[in-house]
Amino acid sequence: MKIPLKQYWNLLADYLNRQWGRVTLLAIALFGSIGLQIVNPQILSYFIDTAVAGGSQTSLFAAALLFTGVALVTQVLAVAATYFGENVAWTATNALRADLAEHCLKLDLSFHKSRTPGELVERIDGDASTLSRFFSQFTIHVLGNIVLLFGILVVLLVEDWRAGLALSLFTVTALSTLIRLRSLAVPYWAALRQISAEFFGFLGEHLAGTEDIRANGAISYVMHRFYGILRRWRPLYHKARLAGTVLWGTTIGLFAIGNVIAFAVGAYLWNEGGITIGKVYLLFHYTNLLREPIEQIRTQLENLQQAEASIYRIRDLFQVKSKLSVGGNQRLSKGALSVTFQNVSFSYHEGGLRTGSRENLLPTSIPNPQSSEWVLQNISFSLPAGQVLGLLGHTGSGKTTLARLLLRLYDPQIGTIRLGSIATYEILLTELPQRVGLVTQDVQLFQTSVRNNLTFFNSQIDDKQILHALEVLGLSQWLYSLPNGLDTPLGSDSCGLSAGQAQLLAFARIFLKNPGLVILDEASSRLDPTTENLIEQAVDKLLEGRTGIIIAHRLATVQRADRIMILENGRMMEYGVCEDLRNNSNSRFARLLKTGLTDVLV
Amino acid sequence: MAATAKMGGWQFLWRMISYAPKLYLIDGFFWILIEGLPVIPGLIIREFFNTLTGSSQLSLSPWSLVALLLVAEVGRIAALFVGRLTKTEHRFLMSSLLRRNLLERLLFRPGAQPLAASGETLQTVSPGEVISYFRDDAHQIEEIIAWTSQIVGAGLFALGSIAILLSVNVRITLFIFLPLIAMLVVVQQAETRLKWYRRASRQATQQVTGLIGEIFSSTQAIKVAGAETEVLDYFRKINEQRRQMMVKDQLLTALVKSVFQNIVSIGTGGILLLSSTSMQVSAGTLTVGDFALFVYYLSFVTYFLSFLGESIALFKQTEVSFERLEVLLSNTPAGESGSDGVKEDSSFSSSALVAHNPLYLNGFCDRKQPLPPIEKPYRDDSTCLQELAAFNLTYHYPGTHWGISDVNLKIARGSLTVITGRIGSGKTTLLRVLLGLLPLQAGTIYWNNRKVDDPANFFVPPRSAYTPQVPKFFSTSLRENILLGLEKPDLDLQNAITMAVFERDVADLDDGLETVVGPRGVRLSGGQLQRAAAARMFVHQPELLIFDDLSSALDVETEQTLWSRLFAARKVSTENDAAVTNWMPTFLVVSHRPWVLRRADHIIVLKDGKVEAQGKYKNLLNTCAEIQL
Repeated sequence: MKIPLKQYWNLLADYLNRQWGRVTLLAIALFGSIGLQIVNPQILSYFIDTAVAGGSQTSLFAAALLFTGVALVTQVLAVAATYFGENVAWTATNALRADLAEHCLKLDLSFHKSRTPGELVERIDGDASTLSRFFSQFTIHVLGNIVLLFGILVVLLVEDWRAGLALSLFTVTALSTLIRLRSLAVPYWAALRQISAEFFGFLGEHLAGTEDIRANGAISYVMHRFYGILRRWRPLYHKARLAGTVLWGTTIGLFAIGNVIAFAVGAYLWNEGGITIGKVYLLFHYTNLLREPIEQIRTQLENLQQAEASIYRIRDLFQVKSKLSVGGNQRLSKGALSVTFQNVSFSYHEGGLRTGSRENLLPTSIPNPQSSEWVLQNISFSLPAGQVLGLLGHTGSGKTTLARLLLRLYDPQIGTIRLGSIATYEILLTELPQRVGLVTQDVQLFQTSVRNNLTFFNSQIDDKQILHALEVLGLSQWLYSLPNGLDTPLGSDSCGLSAGQAQLLAFARIFLKNPGLVILDEASSRLDPTTENLIEQAVDKLLEGRTGIIIAHRLATVQRADRIMILENGRMMEYGVCEDLRNNSNSRFARLLKTGLTDVLV
Repeated sequence: MAATAKMGGWQFLWRMISYAPKLYLIDGFFWILIEGLPVIPGLIIREFFNTLTGSSQLSLSPWSLVALLLVAEVGRIAALFVGRLTKTEHRFLMSSLLRRNLLERLLFRPGAQPLAASGETLQTVSPGEVISYFRDDAHQIEEIIAWTSQIVGAGLFALGSIAILLSVNVRITLFIFLPLIAMLVVVQQAETRLKWYRRASRQATQQVTGLIGEIFSSTQAIKVAGAETEVLDYFRKINEQRRQMMVKDQLLTALVKSVFQNIVSIGTGGILLLSSTSMQVSAGTLTVGDFALFVYYLSFVTYFLSFLGESIALFKQTEVSFERLEVLLSNTPAGESGSDGVKEDSSFSSSALVAHNPLYLNGFCDRKQPLPPIEKPYRDDSTCLQELAAFNLTYHYPGTHWGISDVNLKIARGSLTVITGRIGSGKTTLLRVLLGLLPLQAGTIYWNNRKVDDPANFFVPPRSAYTPQVPKFFSTSLRENILLGLEKPDLDLQNAITMAVFERDVADLDDGLETVVGPRGVRLSGGQLQRAAAARMFVHQPELLIFDDLSSALDVETEQTLWSRLFAARKVSTENDAAVTNWMPTFLVVSHRPWVLRRADHIIVLKDGKVEAQGKYKNLLNTCAEIQL
């Protein structure tokens, strides 16, 4: 039997410590109702003996009333316990949810590439919800019920030592049997939750891609895969539930034996003339009263079996470390930032996808040591502050990766990147996103107000700034058409917001910061030429007094560049001042201008 | 909101139960045993006390009574093992059927975004939120169905025990019935509140799961914006809202439950009072054994009553679940569909939720059943596109003026039609309306002069295929992602990949076509995704190819290569009818590339959702301001 006591204790102490007041009230309510539960059978026993002996009607009446009163108070305490318990549980698990979300958000992108949002919903909300009972009830119920057990047994020992001893032995046997069975179900529950996580991952992906599925006639294919998951799901579900049945059946069997013991002892003592009929009944009643705490302990243990799997998964999740080193404490200077790459090489593979926890379902490809693994190879250049770099290259040539390294979404395996004169890993982590702005191809919107979408929930930014940014980008018109202005909720379908408009919103996000380096990653790829023209001026404003990197595969987009870099298969093929390259007919850039010419000029 | 001919909760349950009636009956039988067998120990206990006090009519020794008790319990345990097995199977069938029907409906419904009612207005539901429907609501319904047979079992034996009690003492027995009436009144009162709180707490939960989903599908954006702290603060805020709702919900449930137990306790007190006079009489109308029986059965009847109360409450909550699912399935993004559009009334979707569909599970003794075959695209003479025409296509996003109005289209076989226009002019909307991904509010579509009644089910391969701006891929092999269940020889797959100019990328991948892609697999760049999606279309060799801005992530050279390969395919089939491929694709694309515009047979320029101009590039250059830029 391995109860990972230490881990439970750590979790408990951590999340319950923050709300001692409530925990105390919960304990008072629970222990109060326990005490009353021990008292009430005594009243019954007294009642029977008095009735059989022909006692006075008044004392019988008083006993009946007292019994009712005690029962009422017990109920009030039970409701109070629920109230405090739920509060404790939700406060604790909410704290856990927030901690988990924070932890996951801080992990580097290689972690997120290996997990679907649906799976993380299951991890952060599903597992935390399983733990909810554990937090509110487990310790206090188990503790409380152990106290109740002891109370009953002590009272029994006082009544008659033989009866007390027999039932104490029974209690010890029953509990240890049930606890021994406890660990039985854990692997089954873990397997069950794993497949349910897989199912919800599958669901999340496919519901996000309904258009692709529908319009390519793949509905029956998706259903086919769904049936496949169901098929694997069912036996796991059966096994997990069967493990529960074994526990339940054992409990019933044990209590049958308990009653047999109580009756046997009662009959023996009665025949000996040692006890009254009221006491025989009390013996029987207390035996049944033992049932409640033992069953409670069993249920709590069953919850614990589920909670245990969740605890392990949460622990695993917390143990996933970001591959990025903690940032330093250097701050970046105000104004435009120069960018320097010194022999930078980077691969997504190296050790990368193996950091996922043990239940990582899909084996990711293991990197082979060939040089083609490197997404970027030996990149060295330096871009003076305030200049604009046009980054060209085919898809997959490493342009986007280069941008990601600048924001420390990943760290290069070899080489150093400097902003200003400071190496990226020495910069304060919170400083970097404030001073480097990135607009990507995909614009992610949240289902919340337009304001929150623009400010990323930062309430420090006032509406004036927002309105100004929208005006610069020519989005004022759009804003005025919204029913509630900045408070209008933006759905994930975003009420007719086109992909291009969404990109303009992404621009607005950058405007609200004051970065010293702006990276536009194919930023205008989805803009039609008309709109592209509209935002040209905005981009001018954005780049004013800032260093800029414009990633594009269209030549028109890099017209404003001071310098040009051409990437191919992660290698830097060409780097230089735009004018020089243009005038040098041997340069790739000049040749590119020729082939692309049709597209640049109508 | 479409909430007319609504199906009641009972009807829903009945339809669900009648899915597997035999299993349900067998399960019910065992649960009647499990819930009912405890009646026997009560009688044994009564005999035991009566034997001790010498008032028993039977002449059994206390020891044989003890043995009998043991036998009764062993029987119950045996029943429990069988009953749990059947229950598990039935539970699995119920939730799986719901999930299956939900998934299929969501895949089939036009409009990619599911909607749910929130107060008065319709709101879009994020994928993360939809998961809560599959998880919580399906579970809730599974639970209540599992309980129905248990409650019948408990009820039957509650009645049985009451009959026994009546034979013992009528006065006391009747006294236990009084609380029953009081309880039902209480539940009736609590019902509306309970329903309200449940709905509110569900919505709060949905918000939380929705936000988690959003956060982790935009991790990079959040990191890039350095907004971790702010996002988490917001997360904590809605977590707190959920806690408040949840505590209210749970507290009310606990109150109802406790009221039940309270009334029963008072009932026990009442029995004590009543029995006090009976037991006092030395004539012995009520023995100690009878008293033990009363208390034992009272707890039994109590259990039934509180179980019944909980079931009623759970049933009320389940009605909320059904309601939510119904709203999810019955609302089209437009609210009401147009006269010629897909007709979707709520009763249809309600029955779709509980429709009896096979689940293709294996038999119990490992008998393997084949999974349903994946539908093969069906091709006949009418498939072959001669002319596609659409008139007055109109769609506006609910509650806005965004969308398209009165757009006409005419596309001839083998032609290249380009839709262009600035941001927000309705290009994507037009494609989605034509494809039935958004419901038509007005307008008609004709395929070879035959009216298309259900565009959503019509515009699929082999008639058409579509690549959205940001194609989505799933966490399986690249091969599976391209084929999506289609059975084609490798050669065809290779051809499609080559035509999409994707062959070199595939060769560069470690595991080639077997490489796992999608959210959990290898990262593909935007351009690779678009070309993979193009291959996904080409492998079907559909009549009509629809690209939504294929070029947005492709560089000039790659895109030119792709187009020249496509045009080459077209040439082969025009020049030589007996060519290996008889494929004569027609193109409908959104693009801004002058290069593509110049080659187009027909250009449609959209502005503010209306056709601004159309014709050949040369003519438009002189006449249309939108295209001159």
